[in-house]
Amino acid sequence: MRKERYIWLDKMITLATLALMAFFYYGTHFLVTAVICVLTALAAEFVSLRLMHKKIDADDLSCTSDALIIALMMPASINYLIAALAVIFGTVVAKNVFGGRQNMVFSPAAAAYIFVLTSWGRDLLMYPAPHVHTGITGKAADLVNSASHTFNMTGKMDYTDFEILMGNFSGPCGAVSILLLTVAAVMLIFRKDISFGAFFGTIIGTAAFAYIMPMINDRTDSVKYSLVTNMVLFAAVFIVSDLRIAPRKWYFAFFYGLFIGIFSYILVLTTAKENAVVIMSVLFTPLALGIRILEKKIRLADDEDEEKPAVEAKEAAV
Amino acid sequence: MNNRKNSVFDGILGDNIILSSLMVISPIIICGDSVKNALSLIYAFNSMTFISLIIGSFVPKKIPYTIRIIIYAIISSLVFIPVRWFAVEFYPDSIHRIGIYYPLLAVNSLIVLQSEAKFYRMKKGRMIISLVFYIIGFDLVMLFTGAVREFFAYGTILSKVADINTTVSGLGMPFGGFIFLGLMCGVYRKIRSSVRSTKAESEE
Amino acid sequence: MFIINDIIALLAANLILTQALGTSTMFIAASGRKNLVRTACVITLFTTVASAFTYFVDVLMPDSVRVYATLICYTLIIGVLYALFLTVLYLFGREKFEAYKKYIHISAFNCAVMGTLFTISERAAADPSLRNTVTYFLNGLEAGVGFIIASLFLAAAFRKLNSEKVPASFRGYPAMLIYLGIISMAVYALK
Repeated sequence: MRKERYIWLDKMITLATLALMAFFYYGTHFLVTAVICVLTALAAEFVSLRLMHKKIDADDLSCTSDALIIALMMPASINYLIAALAVIFGTVVAKNVFGGRQNMVFSPAAAAYIFVLTSWGRDLLMYPAPHVHTGITGKAADLVNSASHTFNMTGKMDYTDFEILMGNFSGPCGAVSILLLTVAAVMLIFRKDISFGAFFGTIIGTAAFAYIMPMINDRTDSVKYSLVTNMVLFAAVFIVSDLRIAPRKWYFAFFYGLFIGIFSYILVLTTAKENAVVIMSVLFTPLALGIRILEKKIRLADDEDEEKPAVEAKEAAV
Repeated sequence: MNNRKNSVFDGILGDNIILSSLMVISPIIICGDSVKNALSLIYAFNSMTFISLIIGSFVPKKIPYTIRIIIYAIISSLVFIPVRWFAVEFYPDSIHRIGIYYPLLAVNSLIVLQSEAKFYRMKKGRMIISLVFYIIGFDLVMLFTGAVREFFAYGTILSKVADINTTVSGLGMPFGGFIFLGLMCGVYRKIRSSVRSTKAESEE
Repeated sequence: MFIINDIIALLAANLILTQALGTSTMFIAASGRKNLVRTACVITLFTTVASAFTYFVDVLMPDSVRVYATLICYTLIIGVLYALFLTVLYLFGREKFEAYKKYIHISAFNCAVMGTLFTISERAAADPSLRNTVTYFLNGLEAGVGFIIASLFLAAAFRKLNSEKVPASFRGYPAMLIYLGIISMAVYALK
């Protein structure tokens, strides 16, 4: 596995492009939110590490990528304090309490998102329309439901393919730029910065069930819209495929991602739950942890089997 | 003399039943989201635990362990009756607020299990003092939890609006109780270990 | 598809994740495979069998004394089952008795068991169609299964939560509580 700092660097590049797109659509309010999130994460990480008497090094900068992921999952009009509290929750409660980046249990971004969802649901799920710029201190008027919400409730997606690719529809800042997300996924997979097994598992799970049990009459459209809405692509890249959480072996990671994709699609289909994939990624944490324990046992058993001939040879020599 | 004093006060800091032993945590997690609820729980817990344990201390030790446990549970179930009756007369709202946790407090592990492990091995006088401090320890944690959760979750204290712009409504939910209690336990352990190491250093 | 919905419904009604009942017993259960299987089985046995008997208490109890007498009746039922299970275990042999008795001791007068009985009784009071032996029995079994699921969730993370890498003040119970809290938060978000 590559050093964390290089993975962090690659992720920050992809996140920065998404942030740039979000700035283009939503203006300075998003930029300030992102800066606040990053600075809060740095401060929270610094304080936590000092309290834990741990050395601070470049790998600890990974907290900033988690913070930027959180900022990109929020509406552009989110209250700065809520964004900061989400980052503190993700960094301190969901990560550092369990030992920090060396003992990850939950995805900090996913846990922070659910924290905001359960505490400020209304603020989280109402979005400004694209190209509605809110100033630094301004409050966005005329907030709308996300395109995902409309699709979940009515099966309608009144956007052209070009608009969908460019992210010109209402939703979380970073989760709507489908083209950029696809490029990011390809880049991160090729550079081995994310688990390709988990990524493909999520995509295939969602697509397969969207085809078998379509949300709308046209199966192709059902697959297409199921993949571009409800943060499926964004979560597949930055949450489910997180190398710190996903199983190490690609085949285990594939099934882990597959189950998350299937369960979250079923949830969207039956209850119209928006962004269900993020909730499922947290609920499937015990599965990921269980698989990692299994992988460790297999590795130890393999190591024992490798050492056996050497030990037997030694005993024979004696 | 110092050692005996320390163990009597243990219930508040050294061996707090909630933060140290993680007993009786369900009511705190679910119902401990306001000061009013906390006061209701404190009344119920204090009266049921104190009276049940005092009465239970007279159960002969010759009776087999299993039968003694059953007798303790029956005693506390009977003590529940007058405690609830007084609550209906003087704090009627509390019953509805606390729901099933009222009867559950009557058979909490402090009464049913810890009585044998801890209190009934002491002499009566010391047992009563120790029990009082254990109950005070519970009360303090309960009040603190109720006050903090109510303030940050609902922006009120004793149902009176406090001046707070942003509330964290999740803190008033069961999961907020879990997380808050977990954080409080961690902070408590840190403080306890610091106090103990300071004491050990000063004794050296 | 409906199985998935049922699983989600089971999670949403889980007594530990939504009502924090039996949390400390679950910490014991999650500490090892043996403890997990034995504690979960004993808790499920108590919740299932006791629920079936509490149906008769709920049906026969006069309304005038219900709020005061229910607890003592439930306590007596659990007391009898406690003594009965220990006796049956003793008949299986001394070795088995010594190995398994502690699980019966910690499970008998447990919040998970008593809380299950009161929860089922409340549900039946709100919806009279639920007032029959089969529903009581199945609800008790469901509560036991919920305990098993929550224990499995915790068992998967047990080693990580007790690892040396966790800060000493949070290692063990505090980390477990926070872990359960985050899982509970995700379950709440499903609603």
